[in-house]
Formats: sequence, structure tokens, C-alpha cells
Amino acid sequence: MTDQLPVTLRSEPKGAALDLLHIVRINEEIKAIVAVAFKINIMALNAIFLAKRAGTAARGFGVLSNELRSFSSQLRETMLALNGLIHGSVGEVSVLLQDSRYNGVLKSAVSIVPLNSRLSAVMARRDQRTVEYRGRLSKVRRALRSSVDDACRLVELGGVLAKSAKIEAAYGAGFSASLAQVSGEFDGVVEEIRVSLDTLRRSNFFKG
Amino acid sequence: MKKTEIIYQNGDHKWIAIVRDPAKPDFLIDTNEYLVTHGGQGMLLDPGGLEIFPAVFSALATEFDPSAITGIFASHQDPDVISSLALWLEFNPEMRCHLSWMWSSFIPHFGGTAATFSPIPDEGMTILLAGLPLQAVPAHYLHSSGNFNLYDRSAKILFSGDVGAALLPAEQQGLFVEDFSTHIRHAEGFHRRWMGSNEAKRQWCERVSQLNIDMLCPQHGAIYRGEDVQRFINWFGSLQVGLLRT
Ligand SMILES: [Fe+2]
Ligand SMILES: [Fe+2]
Repeated sequence: MTDQLPVTLRSEPKGAALDLLHIVRINEEIKAIVAVAFKINIMALNAIFLAKRAGTAARGFGVLSNELRSFSSQLRETMLALNGLIHGSVGEVSVLLQDSRYNGVLKSAVSIVPLNSRLSAVMARRDQRTVEYRGRLSKVRRALRSSVDDACRLVELGGVLAKSAKIEAAYGAGFSASLAQVSGEFDGVVEEIRVSLDTLRRSNFFKG
Repeated sequence: MKKTEIIYQNGDHKWIAIVRDPAKPDFLIDTNEYLVTHGGQGMLLDPGGLEIFPAVFSALATEFDPSAITGIFASHQDPDVISSLALWLEFNPEMRCHLSWMWSSFIPHFGGTAATFSPIPDEGMTILLAGLPLQAVPAHYLHSSGNFNLYDRSAKILFSGDVGAALLPAEQQGLFVEDFSTHIRHAEGFHRRWMGSNEAKRQWCERVSQLNIDMLCPQHGAIYRGEDVQRFINWFGSLQVGLLRT
């Protein structure tokens, strides 16, 4: 006897469960960005080595490659911070999901026995706790949003650096082709991160 | 938050242990959850209690996309095994829960609909995870009367539920058994009291001795690996269980 598991999500969750699904999607996106951000560090190092080999012919590129290196380490730090925040958010939202499950069960009891004062007091206490949880969640939500905005600003700067490096590559004499390749790859990766961060900004989680 | 540790990996076929929550209150028994992943899908083994859902969910999410979990395997009906079911189902109402036919009308008291449950017959069955065969191995009366282990032949891992469980002291929290004779002292009382049948135990020892096992992963305590697997089976085989001296 065998049993095959279903493959797709057919019905979408609601309420806190929907929030949890949104935060899970953000988490997956951030994990992907973090992986790409680590690649950038190695690319920046390559750019520095290449600029050193090219020597005076690529002085401008050399300056930019150092900037790219410091950009990549800043990006790494920003991503680590974002990673920490996102883990905190997943935790907060799952607490809220747990809370809403308990509340749902109790509320159906209250609707059947509306005049039980002790039950009503329990519900009032729980409602207050829910307000606290929601407060905590909106704090985390704001922190996450502002951290995503910071990352976006940083990546804009990275994009400008990468584009300038592309221009400088043209003055690299015999090294022009390889410098252009390195700066082109850098620009591609920065662009990839920029698009991902843009998607994150539009997530329904921030509209909640 | 709990920690995650990848205990087996071959491409995207992985076993991830979710363990040891420093924030867990002492009055809750500590549990290990395991996630098996293959072909972009995941199956969560003994997802744990309602109270620890946030800790398990958030730890799991660091390693794997929880929306890709398509199934839950519950070794038996205990609250520390499956009382979080309703929350996993709220997150993904399509999740299937595989467990003994005996509990398929009891567990819906925790949550789920008729479509949620995939009852396992007493003799066991193969459950496919994106084509990966996982074998539900009978372990009845150890300790629950409708109880299964889950064997992954290609990873050579047996998830053994409460069999092999140990209640470890605070200073001995390693994920793997390092010194069998020290470790097993913390397993003895549990096995004597919780395991109900010497005959069922004998049959289980015979059955699992025929499997090729690199790691035996219990729901509580530490993982047995290498020679400690057979050492455990031999130890359990000679232990008198189902005894209560009052
Ligand atoms: Fe149990
Ligand atoms: Fe247990």
C-alpha cells in the first residue's frame, strides 16, 4: 500500500495564518538575497586583484573596486541584520496564529454561553493579550520595513558604483575586456538584489 | 527559538533535526522534531505540541520553506507529538496527516477534517514524499497501542518516536549519543514504565534488526548513530518492560 502526498496549496489560509504565509514568503526571498550578497564579496575581491594587475592603466577602476569591496561588506551586514529581524517576525506571527486559534475556540464558547462572567473575563484578558501581540508585531513590521528600505538605499548606491566601474573599465587598456566582464557581473548581481528588494517592499505583509 | 541541524544530506534529500529550545519552560517535556525534504517537498515528523509551535515553526523556516511541507507523520496520538496539528493546518489546510488508523477519529479533536487524515493500517505502509519512499514500520504498544516508526531506506535513518527516548539532564544536551553507557541510564526508567509489552518489544527488536540503520532518531533525547544503534536494540531487547512496582 502506498500513498502519494498532495503537491499544491489549493486553499489559501486566512487571518494570522495568511500573515504567516506572507512572512514566510519574505523569509524565503531574504534567504535568496543573502546567498547572492555573499557572492558579491568574492566578486569585489576579484575586481581588486584585477585592478592591481592592470596597474596604472586602471587606476579609476582600482578606486571603484575598493568602494565595491566596502559596499559588499556593508551589504553583508545589512543582510545579516535583516535575517535576524525576519526570524523575529516569523516567531511573532506564529505566536499570533497560536493566539487566534485559542481565541477562536473560546469565542465560540462565549457565543453559546454569553452570560458566563468568568468566561467573559477570560475572553477580555485574552483580547488584551492579543492587542499586546499585535503591538509587538506592528513594531517588528515597522523595523523590518525600515531595514528593507535601508537595504534598498544601499543597493542603489551599489548600482551606481557598478555602473561607474563599467565606464572606467573602458579605460583599462589591455585589461578592458576583463574589467568590463567583472563590472558587468557585479552590476547584474546588484540588479538582481534590487529587483528582489523591490518585490519585498510590495509584500502584503507591510499592508497589514 | 529551537536550533536546526542537518543530520543527513544528499542533494535536496535532507533530514533536518529541530531541537533544544532554551526558552522552553521546564514543565514541558523536551521534544525533537524532524523534517525530511525531497524534490522540493517536506514531511514533518511528530511536529510537537501546541505550546511549542512558534519555536518549531520559526526554527524550521530558517532551513526550509514551510509552505512546501505537504505532509505530517505522527508516530502516535500523544499531545507532545501532534497537538500543534490545528496550527499547521491553518497555515496550510492541504497538509495530509499520516497516522495509525486507530487514532484517525481521535486526532480530529486537535483539528483537521476527514480529508486531512491518511490512516496507516496495522501492518504499515509506504508513504511517498515526491517519489521518495518512506516506510511506516509497526511499533505497536511501544508505547502507544497504535504506533509507527518511519524508515528512510536511502538515508538509512529510522525515526523511532518514543522508542530510544531519554530524559536528559541539563548538562547533557548533545544532539548525538556520545557515551552509550552514560546515556542509557537516562532512558531506562522511561522505557520500563512507558513501554507496555515485552512481546511487542521483542518483535520490534527483530523487525528493526533487519533494517540497515545509520541513525536511530527518537522524539526525546539524543540520536543513536553507528554502533550505538545495535547497542540500543540489544539493550532494549534484554530490558524487562511493562512493570510497575507500587
Ligand atoms: Fe508518547
Ligand atoms: Fe513522546
